[in-house]
Amino acid sequence: MNDFDYRSPRSLDEALAILGEYGEDARVVAGGTALVTMMRQRLVQPRCLVSLRDVQGLGRIEANGGLRLGALVTHRDAEVSPLVQERIPVLAETFRRVATVRIRHMATIGGALAHGDPNQDPPVTLLALGATVNIRSARAAREVPLTEFFRDYYETALEPGELVTAVTVPAPPARSGAAFLKFLPRTADDYATVAAAAIVTLERDGVRCREARIALGSVGVTPLRATSAEALLGGQPLGESLLQAAGEAAKTAVDPLTDHRGSAAYKREMTAVMVGRVLGQAWEAARRSAQARP
Amino acid sequence: MAHRIVGQPVGKLEGIGKVSGQARYSGDVTLPGLVWGKALRSPLPHARIVRIDTSRARALPGVLAVLTAQDLPDILVGRRMFDMPMLARDRVRFVGEKVAVVAAVDPDTAEEALALIDVEYEDLSAVFDPVAAIKAGAPVLHENPAAYEGAPAERPHPNVQSVLRFKLGDVEAGFGQADRIFEHTFRTQLDHQGYLEPHAGVVAIDDDGRIQVWASNKMPFRLKELLSHALRRPPEQIRVNLTPIGGDFGGKGSLMDLPLAYHLARVTGRPVKMLMRYAEELMAGNPRHPSVITMRTGVTRDGRIIARRVKALFNSGAYAAFKPAPSVNLGGTAMGAGVYRIPNLLIEAFCVYSNNIPCGHARSPGEPQMVFAGESHMDMIARELGMDPADLRRKNLLRDGDHLANGHHLEHVRASDTLEAALKASHYAEPKPGPWIGRGMAMTHRHIGVGFTNARVRLETSGAVTLSIALPDTGTGAHLVLCQVVAEVLGVTLDEVEIEVANTDDFETDSGVGGSRVTHTGGRAAYHAAEKLKQQIESEASKHGIPAGALAEIARAAAKDGRTLEASHFYDAKAHADVTSFTAQVAEVAIDPATGQVTIRHFTTAHDVGTIINPIGHQGQIEGGLIQGLGFALMEEMKTEDGRISTLSLGDFKLPTIQDIPPLTTVILQDQVGPGPFNAKAIGEGSISAVAPAIANAVADACGVRILDLPITAEKVYFALREKVAR
Amino acid sequence: MIRLTVNGTVHELEVPAYRTLLDCLRYDLGLTGSKEGCGVGVCGACTVLLDGKMISSCIALAGFADGRSVTTVEGLAQDERLHPVQQAFVDAGGFQCGICTPGQVVSAKALLDANPNPTEAEIKEWMVGNLCRCTGYYKIVESIRSAAQRSRA
Repeated sequence: MNDFDYRSPRSLDEALAILGEYGEDARVVAGGTALVTMMRQRLVQPRCLVSLRDVQGLGRIEANGGLRLGALVTHRDAEVSPLVQERIPVLAETFRRVATVRIRHMATIGGALAHGDPNQDPPVTLLALGATVNIRSARAAREVPLTEFFRDYYETALEPGELVTAVTVPAPPARSGAAFLKFLPRTADDYATVAAAAIVTLERDGVRCREARIALGSVGVTPLRATSAEALLGGQPLGESLLQAAGEAAKTAVDPLTDHRGSAAYKREMTAVMVGRVLGQAWEAARRSAQARP
Repeated sequence: MAHRIVGQPVGKLEGIGKVSGQARYSGDVTLPGLVWGKALRSPLPHARIVRIDTSRARALPGVLAVLTAQDLPDILVGRRMFDMPMLARDRVRFVGEKVAVVAAVDPDTAEEALALIDVEYEDLSAVFDPVAAIKAGAPVLHENPAAYEGAPAERPHPNVQSVLRFKLGDVEAGFGQADRIFEHTFRTQLDHQGYLEPHAGVVAIDDDGRIQVWASNKMPFRLKELLSHALRRPPEQIRVNLTPIGGDFGGKGSLMDLPLAYHLARVTGRPVKMLMRYAEELMAGNPRHPSVITMRTGVTRDGRIIARRVKALFNSGAYAAFKPAPSVNLGGTAMGAGVYRIPNLLIEAFCVYSNNIPCGHARSPGEPQMVFAGESHMDMIARELGMDPADLRRKNLLRDGDHLANGHHLEHVRASDTLEAALKASHYAEPKPGPWIGRGMAMTHRHIGVGFTNARVRLETSGAVTLSIALPDTGTGAHLVLCQVVAEVLGVTLDEVEIEVANTDDFETDSGVGGSRVTHTGGRAAYHAAEKLKQQIESEASKHGIPAGALAEIARAAAKDGRTLEASHFYDAKAHADVTSFTAQVAEVAIDPATGQVTIRHFTTAHDVGTIINPIGHQGQIEGGLIQGLGFALMEEMKTEDGRISTLSLGDFKLPTIQDIPPLTTVILQDQVGPGPFNAKAIGEGSISAVAPAIANAVADACGVRILDLPITAEKVYFALREKVAR
Repeated sequence: MIRLTVNGTVHELEVPAYRTLLDCLRYDLGLTGSKEGCGVGVCGACTVLLDGKMISSCIALAGFADGRSVTTVEGLAQDERLHPVQQAFVDAGGFQCGICTPGQVVSAKALLDANPNPTEAEIKEWMVGNLCRCTGYYKIVESIRSAAQRSRA
C-alpha cells in the first residue's frame, strides 16, 4: 500500500468534518475487510483513511417496534444479538451465513451497505424486510429506502461526504414468515451463486397471501426485489404451482453476470429454483405464525 | 510381527514447534540488514519487450536496486530442460513472467517501486490451446527448443516440449482382434497444488563469498546444483540451510525467485528476502498440467481388454523449466494403462508449449489426469457392454508376474483384494436408499519411490541418539518415521532419539523429498546406519565389559578414548521394487436434480500397504491426499482466458474447507512385502488419483449424466441433465 | 505511534499507517508464529485474537489494534506448558506441515472459550475459515473434540 494519513475521530461530526476536508481523497473504514484488501491490491489508494472505530453512538442495536441497527454493529453482533434473534430471526440467520466468524467480527452493517456489492447476503434480507438506510452528512440527515439505495455495481445513493449511520428494519407484520437461502454449489465458504430472501404475509383466513416480498442477490449489478414475482402472489391462495410460477417470473426479471460462482444462464435457472424454495419455506413459517397468533 | 515403536501411533516434538508458532519457515527467517525483493510481471501473454525504463523506480527513497535482464548474465534456468530466462530478456511468453526485480527496505516500498517501472511491449500472436499450438502455422514460442540444454530429441513441432511413450505388444493388431472398440475424450483443468505457504526464499552472501540460502524447496542438494548452474558459481560456494516447508505437493522443487534474490544480494550487499504473494502463486507458480486425453480401448465380447491407445496432450505453458523428469514429461502418463493387464498398449503423451502459466509437478504428476480418464472410460465401457463396472474390472486386473508398460515387474499383487475390500466396506452392491443416489468406483496404483539418501546416527554421552539427515520437513511426518526406525533398531525409546536437520554442507547428496520415496530411501538409510551403530555399541560394550543397554556409559567410555560412536549409511534405491500399492475407492453421491448439486454421502478408500510405521501419520497422508482429490474433482479450477488467469486469490480459486469433507471409511490391507524398513511401502500419493473418477462414476450411476471434464460442477450436471431429458 | 498489548506485554511502536497487523506482529515484534497465506483474509493462517475475538490480521491495519489487546499463537502456552488445544493437536495428529497450525489452534481456542462443548457441526462451522491442505481436516476435528473433552474432564 502507499502511505496515507490515518485519522481516528471520536464523534460522527468529527468524522464528517474530516471527510469534508479531504473530499474525494478520503475513504472511510470501519472493519476494513473489503477496503484493506482493495488497498493492498492498489485498487484504491486514498490519501486519507478515516477510521470509524472510535466513533461513539453508532454501535447499538435498538428495538423500536422493529429494529434499528447502528452502522458500526458488526455482522457477528447482529448474528448473536438476542434482540435480533427474537424479533427478526431471519436477519440473524442471514448475518450468520456471511463468510467466516473472523470476517463477521470486523465487518460492519454500515460498511456492507456502503460497499454496494451485489454478492453480499445481508442486503438481500434487508431489502425483503423493507429496511431504510439512515444517512448523515455534515449539514443534513436523510433516510433512503433500501429499494432506492443500491444504484449499480459498487455504487450506492451515498453522496460524497455522507455516511450511513444506521439501518432501520420494520418488524414483519402479523401472520408473516420469512426465510433466507444461500445457494452454495461449490464450497461452504463462498459468495452465493444465488441468494434469495422472502417474507410471506397471510390474510386473516390463513390461506390467501396478503403480500409477498422477494429479494435476490448475486443475480445482477445490485441486490433487487423480484417485483413481478411478488405481483403474482399478492391476494392469491398459495400453492406449489403458484410458487413455481413466481420462481419463473423472477427468473425472467433478472440479468445476472457470469462469475466464478456460475454462468449467467445457470444463475438465471437457479433464480427460479431458489425463489420457489425460499417462498416455500417462508410460507411454511407464515402458516405456523398464523396458527400461533391468528 | 509386532514391533515396539514401529507401528505405534506416536506423536512427537515436531508438533511442538508447529503448534506453538516456534517453527521457523523460510519466510520467517530474518537477518541483520535484510532487504525485500519483489518482481514486476508481464501483463501480456506474448509480446516483445521494446523498452524498460527503471529510472523512476530507482529514484524512489528506500529502493536499493532495480534489475532487468540487461543487468544479468544470459543464463537460462530449469530443472531438467533449461529454457527459462531469470528475467525476460527480449520477449515475454506468459502473463506473469518476471520482467524486472526490485530490492527495497520494506515490501510496501518494493511494491510501490514496481508501479514506477515503465515497460513498453509490442504484442505478438499468441496461442493458448494445446491442440491449436501443435498445428501447422501456430505461433511459435521458442524458435529453437532443440538448442536448450536438456531438451529431448523428438520434436514433431517446435511447440512440443517432449513426447513420452509407453508400448506393449502391437496396438493395431490388438484392435484388429477386438470385438468392440470404444473411444472417449476427457479434459482436466489447470490446478494449483494449494500449499498454504507461498514460495519463500532468503539469500545472503557471507564476507568470504559463500552463498547462504533458506528456501521453501524440498530438494536442497538439487537446489544447490541448480543454483550453482544458474549463478555459475562452484557448488562448494553454496550452502542450503534447511527449514520446514509449508506444504509441497510437488510444487516446491524449482529455483523460482532464488537466482534473482542472489543477484539482488550481490548488487546491494545485503541479505535479500523474496516472498511470492498468493496472487503470484496463482499467476506464476508451477501448477498441475491441464490435459486433454483420448482413450481408445478394444475389448472382446466378454469384456477382456485386448488393446488400448492413449493420446494425451498436457498444456505445459510457456516453459518446460519446471519439469524435473529426464523425459521432461510426466511419469504418471504410464497410468494410462490403469490397474489392468493390457497386452497391446500404446500411450503417447505430448507436453506442449503455449502462452500460458508454465506447469510443473503436482502430487502424483500426471496420474489424477490419466486415472480420471481411464477409470471413467472403464465405467463407460462397462455400461455399453451391459456389465457391472466391478465385473469389467475383475476381468482385467493385474496379477502376480505381470509387467507394466514402464518396465516394472510386479509380484505380491493385491489388486483384486483391494477392490473387493472397497466394494464390501462401501456396501456397493446393496440397493440404494433412494432416488438420485449413486455409487461409483475407481482404482489406481502407485509404486514406491526411489532415490538416494544419506543418514548418520550418533550416540551422545547422555545416552541419547542423534539422527542427522538433510531431508527437509514438508509435513509428511517423515522425520518422526525415521526416528521411530532408529529407535526400533537400537532398542531405545522414541524420546531418546533426536533428529538433527542438517544442511547441504553436512552431507554429500540426497535426492530430497518427493515421489513417495522418503519412508523407503530415508528409512533404509536410517535403518542401516542404526544397524551399524548398534554393532559399534555392542563391540564397544564388550570391550569395556559394560552391559549393551547402558548407552550413556558406553558413549562416555568411548569418549575417554577420544572416539565418538557414529555411523553413516548412503542408501541408493536404484531400481523400483517388484511391488506396488493398489488403491480402490467408492463414492456414494446424491444429486439434487433441480440444481445439479453433487453431495458426497460417503467415501470409502481401500489401500494395500506394507508395514505401517506410524498409523496416525499414515492415515493423515491418506486423508490429506483424498481431500485434495476431492478438490480436484469438484471445485478447484484456475480459470484462464486468452492466457489470463482470473482466479487470483483463494476467494476465487477454492480449496476444500472443513465443512466440505465427506464421511469416510478407510480400509487397510496390510502386507509385509515393502522395500522400506520393516517392509514398509509408500502412501503419500496413493489416495489422490482415483477420487475424481469414483465421483464421476457415482454421478453417472445416480442420474445417468456423464461428465467428461473436471471439475464436476453443479452447473455442468444441471445442464447435462436438462439436455438428457430433452433428448 | 500505536500502543498495543500483545500476549500480555505492552508495546509502543512507530509504524507507517499502511502496516498491517500481521506485518507488525511478524516484523516489528518478531512474532513470526502468525503466517501470511492467502493475504486476503480467507485461509486463516494469520488468525489472531483482538480483544478475545478472532480476526484475520493480514487485512487489519496495525492501527486497528491501537489501545487494544492481541493474542497470537505464541501467547497460548502457559508457563512453558502447551495449552490443552495445542497438546490435543500434537497428540491427535491435527497438523502436518504446520503452516496453518497457528491459525487452527488460535481459532480452536477461541471456539472452546465461547463454546466449551461444541457439536461436530458447530466445530466445522466455526473452523470453516481455517484452510488446511495437508490433513484433509479429519484429524483437526478429532483434535478439537479431544481438547473439548479434556477441558471438561
